Amino acid sequence: MVAKPAQSGLGPGTIPAQAGIGLRASHYLEVLETRPPVGWLEVHSENYFGAGGKPLYYLERIRAHYPLSLHGVGLSIGSTDALNSRHLDQLKTLIRCFEPALVSEHLSWSSVGGRYLNDLLPLPYTEEALGYMVRRVSQVQDYLERQILIENVSSYLQYTESTIPEWEFIAALTERSGCGLLLDVNNIYVSACNHGFDPAVYLQAIPPAVVQEIHLAGFTVNRFEQGEILIDTHNQRVYPQVWALYRQAVRRFGLIPTLVEWDTDLPALEVLVDEARRADAIIGEECHVAAA
Amino acid sequence: MSRLRELQADFAQAVLNGVDTAFGHYIRVSGLGGERRLQVYRNNVFLSLTEALKAVYPVTQRLVGGDFFRYAAARYIPLYPSTSGNLHDFGGFLPEFLATFEPTAALTYLPDVARLEWAYHQVFHAAHHPPLDLAALAVAPAERHGELTFTLHPAARLLASAFPLLRIWQVNQADFAGEPTVDLTEGGIRLLLIRRENLEIELQPLPAGEFAFLQALAEQQDFATACERALAVQPATDLPALFSKHVQQGALVDFSL
Repeated sequence: MVAKPAQSGLGPGTIPAQAGIGLRASHYLEVLETRPPVGWLEVHSENYFGAGGKPLYYLERIRAHYPLSLHGVGLSIGSTDALNSRHLDQLKTLIRCFEPALVSEHLSWSSVGGRYLNDLLPLPYTEEALGYMVRRVSQVQDYLERQILIENVSSYLQYTESTIPEWEFIAALTERSGCGLLLDVNNIYVSACNHGFDPAVYLQAIPPAVVQEIHLAGFTVNRFEQGEILIDTHNQRVYPQVWALYRQAVRRFGLIPTLVEWDTDLPALEVLVDEARRADAIIGEECHVAAA
Repeated sequence: MSRLRELQADFAQAVLNGVDTAFGHYIRVSGLGGERRLQVYRNNVFLSLTEALKAVYPVTQRLVGGDFFRYAAARYIPLYPSTSGNLHDFGGFLPEFLATFEPTAALTYLPDVARLEWAYHQVFHAAHHPPLDLAALAVAPAERHGELTFTLHPAARLLASAFPLLRIWQVNQADFAGEPTVDLTEGGIRLLLIRRENLEIELQPLPAGEFAFLQALAEQQDFATACERALAVQPATDLPALFSKHVQQGALVDFSL
């Protein structure tokens, strides 16, 4: 980045244990003008890697009013290529400029041999991959000089060579690398349906102390003669089954900042705010139960 | 090669190049077969990369139609794969690709339209830059003005085409409401794309002399050479007027001696 926006001056602060929404370009003006009542905002880091122009202009102004989380989709931490130093530099610059309270990436890979597929591809859950991910996450945290959160992804296949359940892999990764967990409840549900495991088992295996953020989103069902497959499309409201799983998660993990993601077929801003309100209602109800 | 690297290389090959036989043994079969499961990833990858191209090339897409654009994108993606985790970096070779893509060979203007759209995309994300420091320029010794070199604003691009590119671009904007036909024989155009202080992007058609002048400065030729080139193609060029215009409008932002 050549021209840096001024630092927000707010300091990173913390993300409140409330619902937030993803900020997308088509909502910039409305968010600035109406300041919707959501606890915080999250953006895809890469959308602000440009050197200037509208994205940085609006983010700078909106950041003055909301706590911020940077969510990366392209670092390709699980790739066996060397870490992309340009990408890391751009991320570090962005962190310095916008002072996000949380920075997250995915338990996935997206490139090999310099070719990027720009998708969140699953890793085999083996001892080799676990050791590798621990080293890579540590490298990234050392370079950025901060903790990052790693998010579990939706998957549509399981590898024959996987020997460790995903939930154990993630628990071990957080313990050995010191990263936090961005628990995507929708992704757990999607993968549970696609691979036939019990999502409650997944939640039980996650140490409560590592969960610092939760994601919710909508999925799409693709039906075939031999069966169906759920795709993590972020293009509609959160399904009732996922709200139910979210309630279980709040019961286990307590007050956790929760983000409603919506990336394609973007609806009116008020629909996102309404989804966030539903998440806040669940947080409120479960806290009330816990207190009583 | 590590086991993990081998898996990733085979996965990428199977997704991008459709060589799936090498990948089937990696996938656990349960309910749906391995090829169906891999197809989900293939769809996701091609869909998101195609969407990235559509976002940068809306006019190109409009000219060939959505279905054909998707077809062309599916050919482009494995030939010029993405090399960045940032999707905004993807698609810069589409003009070159279209120039040799047999099915669009008759649309001779198409590669230039794509060049304009890629330039527009770069200008959109380019760095901010303060205006030229006039006070500093004023103290440069007059006898050495010819040796000055200038820098174009990072959010400015020059583009020339043998086709009426601006007309093609204008009539294919979503909000265009005039006469939609373009006479391809009406002649070429020289354009300055520049992002203004309000972050809106302008497409300015330039006379030959003015374009040659800016083009020379963009190539780091000195001021005297830029003036010579402008006068060579258009003897009536009012050099002082156009120099002050581009300083004031912010196309020229820096100088050195």
